Amino acid sequence: MLMISPRMATGAQEKQYPPSLLNFFVYNPKFGPKEGEEEKKILFYHPNEVEKNEKIRNVGLCEAIIQFTRTFCPTKPAKSLHTQKNRQFFCEPEENFWMVMVVRNPMIEKNNKDGKPVVEYQEEEILDSVYSSVLQQCYNMYKLFNGTFARTMEAGGVDLLKQRLEKFFYRYLQTLHLQSCDLLDIFSGISFFPLDKMTYLKIQSFVNRMEESLNLVKYTAFLYNDQLIWSGLEQDDMRILYKYLTTSLFPRHSEPELAGRDSPMRLEMAGNLLHYGRFLTGPSNLKDPEAKFRFPKIFVNTENTDEELHLIVYKAMSAAVCFMINTSVELTREFCEQLDSLVGPQLTLLASDICEQYSINRRISGPEKEPQFKFIYFNHMNLAEKSTIHMRKTASVSLTSIHPELMKILGDINSDFSRVDDDEEIIVKAMTDYWIVGKKSDQRELYVILNQKNANLIEVNEEVKKLCATQFNNIFFLD
Amino acid sequence: METGQRESEEPEEVKQCDPSLPDSHNQAGCEDSEALPYHRTAAVLGESIPDGDQTEEEEEEEEGAGTQTDELEETSVTEGQRSSSLDPEGDPEEKAERDGTLNRESELPEPSGNGEEPEGDACVAPKAGELSDSGSTDNTLEDSGEFTETCPVAVLAGAAEELGSGVSEPGTPPLSHRDEDVTAESWRGHRKHVFVLSEAGKPIYSRYGNEEALSSTMGVMMALVSFVQSGDNLIRSIYSEDHKVVFMQQGPLVLVSVSQSRQSEQQLRQELQYVYYQIISMLTQASVTRIFERKKNYDLRRLLAGSEKILDGLLDLVDTDPSFLLSAVRCLPLASSLRDSLSQTLQKAITPNLVFSILIAKSQLLAIVQEKAVIEDARLEPADLHLLLNLIGASSAFQAGEIWTPICLPLFNPDGYFYAYISYLDPPQCTVCLLLLSTDKEAFYSVAECKRKIEDGVRAQNALRAVEEARAYSVTQVGVPDLRHFMYKPFDVPENHKQLTQFTSPEMEAPYSTKEERERLFDLYRYLHSCIHSATRPLKLIYHVAEKETLLAWVTSKFELYTCFSPLVTKASAINAITKLLRWIKKEEERLFIRYPPKYSTTPNPSKSSWGGKGGSDRQETTENGFLSLP
Repeated sequence: MLMISPRMATGAQEKQYPPSLLNFFVYNPKFGPKEGEEEKKILFYHPNEVEKNEKIRNVGLCEAIIQFTRTFCPTKPAKSLHTQKNRQFFCEPEENFWMVMVVRNPMIEKNNKDGKPVVEYQEEEILDSVYSSVLQQCYNMYKLFNGTFARTMEAGGVDLLKQRLEKFFYRYLQTLHLQSCDLLDIFSGISFFPLDKMTYLKIQSFVNRMEESLNLVKYTAFLYNDQLIWSGLEQDDMRILYKYLTTSLFPRHSEPELAGRDSPMRLEMAGNLLHYGRFLTGPSNLKDPEAKFRFPKIFVNTENTDEELHLIVYKAMSAAVCFMINTSVELTREFCEQLDSLVGPQLTLLASDICEQYSINRRISGPEKEPQFKFIYFNHMNLAEKSTIHMRKTASVSLTSIHPELMKILGDINSDFSRVDDDEEIIVKAMTDYWIVGKKSDQRELYVILNQKNANLIEVNEEVKKLCATQFNNIFFLD
Repeated sequence: METGQRESEEPEEVKQCDPSLPDSHNQAGCEDSEALPYHRTAAVLGESIPDGDQTEEEEEEEEGAGTQTDELEETSVTEGQRSSSLDPEGDPEEKAERDGTLNRESELPEPSGNGEEPEGDACVAPKAGELSDSGSTDNTLEDSGEFTETCPVAVLAGAAEELGSGVSEPGTPPLSHRDEDVTAESWRGHRKHVFVLSEAGKPIYSRYGNEEALSSTMGVMMALVSFVQSGDNLIRSIYSEDHKVVFMQQGPLVLVSVSQSRQSEQQLRQELQYVYYQIISMLTQASVTRIFERKKNYDLRRLLAGSEKILDGLLDLVDTDPSFLLSAVRCLPLASSLRDSLSQTLQKAITPNLVFSILIAKSQLLAIVQEKAVIEDARLEPADLHLLLNLIGASSAFQAGEIWTPICLPLFNPDGYFYAYISYLDPPQCTVCLLLLSTDKEAFYSVAECKRKIEDGVRAQNALRAVEEARAYSVTQVGVPDLRHFMYKPFDVPENHKQLTQFTSPEMEAPYSTKEERERLFDLYRYLHSCIHSATRPLKLIYHVAEKETLLAWVTSKFELYTCFSPLVTKASAINAITKLLRWIKKEEERLFIRYPPKYSTTPNPSKSSWGGKGGSDRQETTENGFLSLP
């Protein structure tokens, strides 16, 4: 344990620090316009321990920066501030409500000649587009569970708003994991489950039957394997709900189906021989006389009808279904029991159907060879997203199979694409001799990383052509 | 009281103690007209020559001749101080002391063994008094400021305005963009603003709009800089949807670029660096530093009055001329035999302390000859040459007669002056410009003599005509149908790495014949350049297909190439085209580039050297530290 490598002994080692969250705050400049009342502007500040004057100073700087950029364009103020040590991202999701996220630049700590640690900030490592999207997502997630700031202000004034912000962000900020944010955060897309027509129709008819029988249901969404198959929600609402389900709710409920044969979970399941269905939100055990029938509330369509809904997530094996019911309805034990007995068996059956179909399809497409390329695809029209770069999305980190440097080049190409509406194609060769191809056509974006270092431009082009022909002919049924 | 008196006496002092200077005016003057002193002023201040009747100004000038000279000699003045403090190791205290005593020294005959030339110091006196009388710095500065403001600057500013509208841009309303309403939409709409301010938040320069009107905006800029600084941090940039605001601090100056272009932050910062260098080229870094050390809220515009035009010109050039982007110089394509004989002519016409002889035509390099010893220790950076080219281009004053002006080459040595002799060889066409750089302030006569030799040589060869006929070439000469345009920059081969970095590029032709389209193509090149040279994620190759064109950028260890093709070109034919293009460039190499810039040896004459410091045993050291052995 005490072995010291010669490298360490000479003090030549470097310590790397990934980007991290320094501050996160929400303010409204109209709430404390007078001097001496600046503190009133601040609605939420993380970390809360920061001294009051420091908070006021930091908010003041943001106000000044935003005001300053209005000199040059009154309608499009600053979105980010770059400094040696950090980056600040600004976002005004509702009029006069500003959200600010301060991210510390990644650092390298080296020992200088005297053996003293010297910190070097890597100022160009953070991509603005990625972290601006992360900030926007923070708001979207807040809004999903709390509704708009304005609505809260109407309901309970500043105090209620502060309370809600505190309650939500206290936990949410801990799940941000800024070091692993990348291109997928910009897209914030939805991964769709590839399916044959028959099975798809089965699912649709299941959804229809359930909505009819339960007749309280306003919207339904159906997922398999953490991928979406059917949704009745508006795209933008589904996008954030999907994010919540796949990065927060699902990972928290490990699969009992996958648990060992003798695990207590399995035994518990055995008691209910009819089906594998269970609630992921609401009551964890219907048999429990103490069970509470409270479900999380979500807010959708905030732009127009502004609906408040109960979110019921019910899962059997790899299939999950979300039922959303207006909050004016009180959900009772009877309703939950009815749902369980109705949905449980059918969903179990459907899940095994999908599973079977899925493995047949896989067999047809042949055994998977280790491909020479990895790709990310995104379609702006239906938010469909597919990545073979990201091995697995979990609550904590999204693991990628490629070097972060290459991910950043993808981000650079994406920033270029977002500047013009025209179709474009970019092929670049990185210093590491990887080839990276970005294609944008008609709202679709495709990024390919090729691991053929000796290939030339023409060969790379051929590879990408082949990839497009094989991968994108039938995968995206919603296209 | 005392200072005021002293200053009023200064004109006399200058005339008395520095007979050589007015003489050199006359010398130059007899060539052309008596208006030449004004030309010199104009040259130094970057203004064009008065065409019409300027008697009134002229007269006032006469009156304020003292200050005029003072203003004229501003640069050389600081140089005087500079030469005395060239030694970078020099103790600042000592410098200050020395500067402070310049006045006294000037009254005493200087032992010639002491590196400070008495004449130089004499003309230093006025400014030295103002800037460095440490005992009463503030007052003196204030006084001198008012002094200069009331007299020559006002006159010159007036002249400048008239000139601006009357001569340079006939027919256009006299409203220059310096009078723009800074609250108007049109002001906001400018593609790129550039501001220069002092650490005290005092405006020094604004590309558009009057600095006074912008003083509150610049105040905010400075407030942002110092606010972030107070948190032990440094502000770099602000991004909004359409704008990038880039901050750069250089010594006591803060430079800010507000751009709507697609340029990267790195590129905008490079441009600010050029602006800073251009200011330094007029004042030297040391004197700028010293001025603000003495008085934090000094109004630097007093020293830069009239030079806005040079900065304006620079910023216009930076937006159109790829030389700046590529940090390379473009040569006018010329038959190698002709170029060689021009170089030989330059090579023959030498005088002690001459370090660079440069021929320029159409803002491109014709020939360059360098001093052997100097170039062994430091190289002439393209950026320095760009500043010189901009200076020449920004002022039509150079078109008449001969100019002898101190100039600092910031990359060569930010703290010292060269003396530039500038004269056109072919008035009135003024295509071919000769630029001779000497380190000797007193070398005007001998350098002017060189010019006559060169003039004769060039005439004998009948070279002027050939040069005037030389044109930028068309891309069609390459013979690749899909190729629309390119920029090619070879990297130095190791054995002559002291060589000036160059690039070649054909004319922009259809579809890039309008200003907008040219700008668009240049923007695309900038974009390619920023990606391929990204500080953190550089690339080797970029192939970019868009609606209107296909672009390919490629960086190898031997060259850097940017090409533009028609949008429908296939990858195979683009690669084919590049092979052909590289072959063509190889074939034309001798015509497109100066392959081996010739050298001459003009071993500095020690007694004449103006870069010498305190003289005696110190001289050698000073010379080495301050000049020759720059990295």
